[in-house]
Amino acid sequence: MNSMQVPLSLRELLADVFEISPEQVTPDLGSATLEAWDSFRHLQAVLAIEGEYGVQLDPQRIPELTTVALLQAELEKKGVSL
Amino acid sequence: MQADSNRSAWRQSIKDSLTNRDAAATVNSARNLLAVSSKASDVLFCASAFVENAEAFVAQLGVRRLRTYLVRSVTVEPVLPYLTTEAVLSGFFLDLQVGGYGSYVSELLQPDSGLVRFQPEMVLVVLDLEEVAGRLPDLCADGIGAGVEREIEESANRVKQLLTSFRAGNSARLLLQGLAAPDFTSSGDVGDANLPWSLMNAVLRLNRRLAELCRSIPDCVFFDVDRLAARYGRARWRDSRMFLASRLPLSAEFFAVYSRGLVRAWSTLFRAPRKVLCTDLDNTLWGGVLGEEGADGIHTGSAFPGNCYLEYQRYLKQLSKRGILLAIVSKNNESDVREAFQTRSADLSLSLDDFAACKIGWGEKADAIREVSRDLSLGLDSFVFIDDSPVECEAMRRQLPEVAVVEAPAAEPWKLAEALAEQGFFDIANVTDDDVNRLQEYKAQTQRAELARSAGSRDEFLASMQIVCTFRSALLAPLSRAVQLLAKTNQFNLTTRRRSASEIEQLLSSPGGQAVVVRVRDRFGDAGVVGLALAGNRGDCCFIDSLLLSCRVIGRGIETALLAYVAEQALQMGARRIVGEFIATKKNAPCATFYPDHGFIRCAGPEAAPAGSEFYEFDLTAAALSSPQWITLEGDEPHELHASTALTA
Repeated sequence: MNSMQVPLSLRELLADVFEISPEQVTPDLGSATLEAWDSFRHLQAVLAIEGEYGVQLDPQRIPELTTVALLQAELEKKGVSL
Repeated sequence: MQADSNRSAWRQSIKDSLTNRDAAATVNSARNLLAVSSKASDVLFCASAFVENAEAFVAQLGVRRLRTYLVRSVTVEPVLPYLTTEAVLSGFFLDLQVGGYGSYVSELLQPDSGLVRFQPEMVLVVLDLEEVAGRLPDLCADGIGAGVEREIEESANRVKQLLTSFRAGNSARLLLQGLAAPDFTSSGDVGDANLPWSLMNAVLRLNRRLAELCRSIPDCVFFDVDRLAARYGRARWRDSRMFLASRLPLSAEFFAVYSRGLVRAWSTLFRAPRKVLCTDLDNTLWGGVLGEEGADGIHTGSAFPGNCYLEYQRYLKQLSKRGILLAIVSKNNESDVREAFQTRSADLSLSLDDFAACKIGWGEKADAIREVSRDLSLGLDSFVFIDDSPVECEAMRRQLPEVAVVEAPAAEPWKLAEALAEQGFFDIANVTDDDVNRLQEYKAQTQRAELARSAGSRDEFLASMQIVCTFRSALLAPLSRAVQLLAKTNQFNLTTRRRSASEIEQLLSSPGGQAVVVRVRDRFGDAGVVGLALAGNRGDCCFIDSLLLSCRVIGRGIETALLAYVAEQALQMGARRIVGEFIATKKNAPCATFYPDHGFIRCAGPEAAPAGSEFYEFDLTAAALSSPQWITLEGDEPHELHASTALTA
C-alpha cells in the first residue's frame, strides 16, 4: 500500500495528528499498526477531520473507523470531496 | 489560496528553526502560523514542535518550565496540545501530567498519590457539574427549589475541604475551574431568567461561592470558564454529541480560546502584572492630529466619534484606580498638549494630573520610555505601550523587546479599550492597598528626586527625608502582599526565590523562623510594604533565605535597617552567626555586593546548596549590625514577630 493512495489533505492532517511523516500515512495504517494511534489520538483525529472538512461523524461509527481507509471511506460516504 | 501558501511557508520556517535550534524563530513562526490558520492540524504541528524543542525554550528564551498536574472528571486529552501551545506563546512550558477520571479525590488527598509523587508546581482542578453538584439539576427542576441553597453550600464546602486539605500538605499553586452553565434547561429561557432557583441561577451562584473559596486559599486562583462560554456563545460551547459519547466538555472550535483563558488565569499566580501604560495622544487618546487640527479640532467628548476616545480615557482612568500608572508618550509640542488638556478639559475624562509621567517631544519614543523607566525606577518589563502608528509600534518592539506593544485600532476607535482588555498584562487576582496608593507614591518619587538635587551631602539629604521603617510579620503584611513582593521584585533581590504563601507559613513554623516585612514612609508619603526578609536557624546559625527591597526605595539605607533587624531577631532566638546567600541573575546586579558591603565574609555553603549560590557569614557575637542613624525604627515589639506568636496571630 502506498501513501499516494490517500488524498493529500487527509494524509497531511493525519501526519500532524500522529506525529509521523505524510509518507507513512498509507490506507492500511490504523490503530492496530501504529502505537501512537490510541483512543485519545483517535478522538483527536476525528475532531481534526470534522473541523477540516466541516462534517460531523456519527458517534456510533467513530470507534469503528480505526484505519485511514475506513476514515476515508466514511468521508466519501458523507459526500466530502477529498 | 493565499492563506494556504502562507501556511506552508510558516510551517516550513518552523521546521527550519527546529533544525537550527532557534527557539525564538520557532515561537515567532508558530505565532504567525496560528494567526493565519486555526486548523487543528496546525496547532498539533506547533505543539509537537514545541515539545521537541523544550530544552531550547528554557535555555534560550528563559521560558518558565512548569510541572503541572491536571485532575479532572472529564476528557481533556484532545485539548492538551492547544494548552501546550498557548502556554509556550505566553512564556510557560508545561511538563504536564493528567490524572484518572474518577480519582481526583485520592490524588489530591493521599500522601503517596501519583500527583504528590509528581511534585507539581501547579495543580489544575477541572471538574464538571455532575461531579461538583450532581443533584442540582433535579433539585432545581420543580421551580421552587427547596434544598437548592443547601446543596450549593454543601457542594462548595466539599470542594473547599478538598482544596484546604490539599493545601495543608502541599504548596503547589492551585487553579480551580468553575462550572459552565448549561445552555438550556427544562425550565425554559424565561424560567431560567426569572426563577430564583433555576438551574442557570443555581450554577451562577455556585460559581460565585467557588470563587470566594479560592480567595480564602493561599496561591489559588479561580478560572471562570462560564465567562468564556458566555462570550463565545453558550449554544456552541458544548457539543452534546461529543460530551455524551466521549465526556468531552468542550466543542473543538473553542479549544484555543479555552486554553488561552486557562493560561491567562494561572499566569497571575506566577507573574506580576505590568505597572505602567504609556499612551500615544493623536488618534489614540483623542481622534485626529493636534498639531494639524488644533485643540478645538481633535475628537473627544460626548458626540461620536469623540465618545469612542472618551470611553478609552475612562478605561485608562479605571486602570489607574487600581494602581496602574499612566504616562503620555507623544510626538507633539508640549505647549499644544497643555493647551488641549486645558481648553478641552470638559470633553476629556483625564487631566494631566492623572499621568505619572509625560514625555512629549520629537525624540524617539523608545528613549522616552527609557526615561520614564528611570524616573519611576521601574523595569522595562513593567511597561505597556499603545500607539496607532504601526511604524512606532514596530520600532518599539525592535528597540525595547521587553515592552508590551499594543497597536491602537485607529480605524475602529470604538475598539480602543477592547484592544487593551483582551491582553492579560494588567491581570490580577487580588488587589492590595499598596497597589491603590501607587500613583501618589510615584508622584512623591519625583519630588524626592528634586530634593536630592537641592540637598547637600547624601546623609543630610536622607536625614531631611525623615524616613520611618516599621517592621511587621509577613503574615500581617498582609501575606498576599509579601507573596506579591517575592513574585515581582527582581533588581534588589538576593536570591530571587518566588516563595508561595504556604512556603512562608512553613518557614515561620521552623526553628528561628522569621518572615519580616518593612513598611516605609517619609515626609513625602507612604511607600507601603516595600521590603521582605525570610530566615531560619540551623543550629546556632541563621540562614537568610530571601531578602529583597522594592527598587523604588533602594539606596536610602532601608536595606541595612532590614538586615540589622533580622540579625537582631536571630541573636535573640539563639543564633551566633548569620549567613546570607546571593544568587546572581540577569537583573539583580544592584545587590551583588550587599553582604560584603555589610562586613560579611565569603564562606562555604551548607551541603546540598544550589550550584549558583554564594554564601557570606557574619559573626553576631563579635560585632553588631546597626541601622543607619537617619532612619527612625518603629513598630511591633520584637517578641510579636517570633515564630510562635506570629503563627497564632
